[in-house]
Amino acid sequence: MSVPRFTNRRAAFWAGIHDAVGAPVLVLFAGMVGFGAMGRTHGFDAWMTGLTSLLMFALPGQVVMLEMLISGSSFLAIAFAVSLTSARFVTMVVTLFPQLHRRDRNRGLYLWVHLLAMTAWSMSMREFPHMAAKHRLSYFIGLGLPCWLIAMPGTVLGYFVAGWVPDAVTLALVFINPLFFLLTFTEVRPWANRIAIGLGCVLGPLFYVWDADSSLLATGLVAGTIGYVVDRRWLRPAPVEVQP
Amino acid sequence: MNTTVQGWGVWLALSAACLGTYTCRALGVKLSGHIDSESEIFRWVAAVTYAMVAALTVRMLLMPLGLLATVPMLLRILMCVVSLAVMVSRPTRRMGPALLIGTLLMLGYGVVRTA
Repeated sequence: MSVPRFTNRRAAFWAGIHDAVGAPVLVLFAGMVGFGAMGRTHGFDAWMTGLTSLLMFALPGQVVMLEMLISGSSFLAIAFAVSLTSARFVTMVVTLFPQLHRRDRNRGLYLWVHLLAMTAWSMSMREFPHMAAKHRLSYFIGLGLPCWLIAMPGTVLGYFVAGWVPDAVTLALVFINPLFFLLTFTEVRPWANRIAIGLGCVLGPLFYVWDADSSLLATGLVAGTIGYVVDRRWLRPAPVEVQP
Repeated sequence: MNTTVQGWGVWLALSAACLGTYTCRALGVKLSGHIDSESEIFRWVAAVTYAMVAALTVRMLLMPLGLLATVPMLLRILMCVVSLAVMVSRPTRRMGPALLIGTLLMLGYGVVRTA
C-alpha cells in the first residue's frame, strides 16, 4: 500500500465528492435527463419516471423496463429481463467491496450499495489502490451520493423539458442514452464481453424480428454464451487483469 | 403527445424492477465475502449482460419506438459512426466530447428539419 492519502475519513469523503462533481455527475445527469425525456415521449407518468431513477438507479435496467412496458411485455418478463440487466451489480460489488476496511464491511453496506453505478464503480476501482482501506468507504460514499442525488432531479427536468422545448431538443435528449451505451462499449476490455457485444448487435435485431418479447433475453443468452465460450477456449491467455 | 401509459401493470412492473435491481446489489454484498470475482460463472454472467445491453442499444438506435423513429435510419447510423470515431480517436477517455458531438448533430438535424 502507498502512503496515506487522506488525513481522515472526512477528507476522503470530500475528495470523493470532488471527484464526482465533473465528468461522472455530468454524464449521469445527461443520461437521466435523456431518460426523463424518453419517459415523456413514450407517454409515461412523471412520478413513475422520476421514481424509477431514484429507486432503481440503473439506467440500462430503467431503459429496458420502459421499452418492454411500451412494447406490451408481461410484468414477469420485465422483472426477469431487468434483473438480468442488473446482474452486473453482483460482479461489480463482488470486485469492489472486498477492498473496503474490515470494520466497514457490515450491514451498512446494504444501504450504501444502492449508490453504486457504473461511473462510481470504475472510478473507485481506479482510486482504491491509492488510499488506505479505512478511507475507501468514505471516498465511495462521497463519489456515489452526488450521482444518486442528481438522478431524480435530472429525470424530472428531462421529463418536463421534453414537454415544452422544441422537438429538436427533445430529439437530442432522447438520443443521449442509446449513444452513451454505444460509446461505453468501446471501453470494454475482456474479449468475452467484446464478442458478446458484437454478436449482440447483430443477433439483437434478428431475434427481435423473430420474437420481440423474448429477444433481449434470447440475444443475451446466445451471444453472451458464445462470447464466453470463444474467449475461454481460444482467446484467454493467462489470468486476465480486471481494470476499469 | 401520446396518451399517458397508466394502470396497475406499470406500477407492478416498476416495483418488480426495483426489487430485482436491489436484490442484485444486495446479493453482491452478501457474496462479496465468499465469492471469487474471477470465477467462471461471473465471467459468463458479465458476457450475457453485455450482449443484452448491446441488443437493447442497437434496437433503440435502429428500431426506435418514439420520436427517434422520425429520423432517417441512415442519418442515425451516421451520427453514431461520427461519435464513435471521436470516442476512439485518442486512447484517453473521450466520452464527453463524443457524447456532445452526437447530441449536437441530432439537435442540428432537428433544427434543420423544422426550419
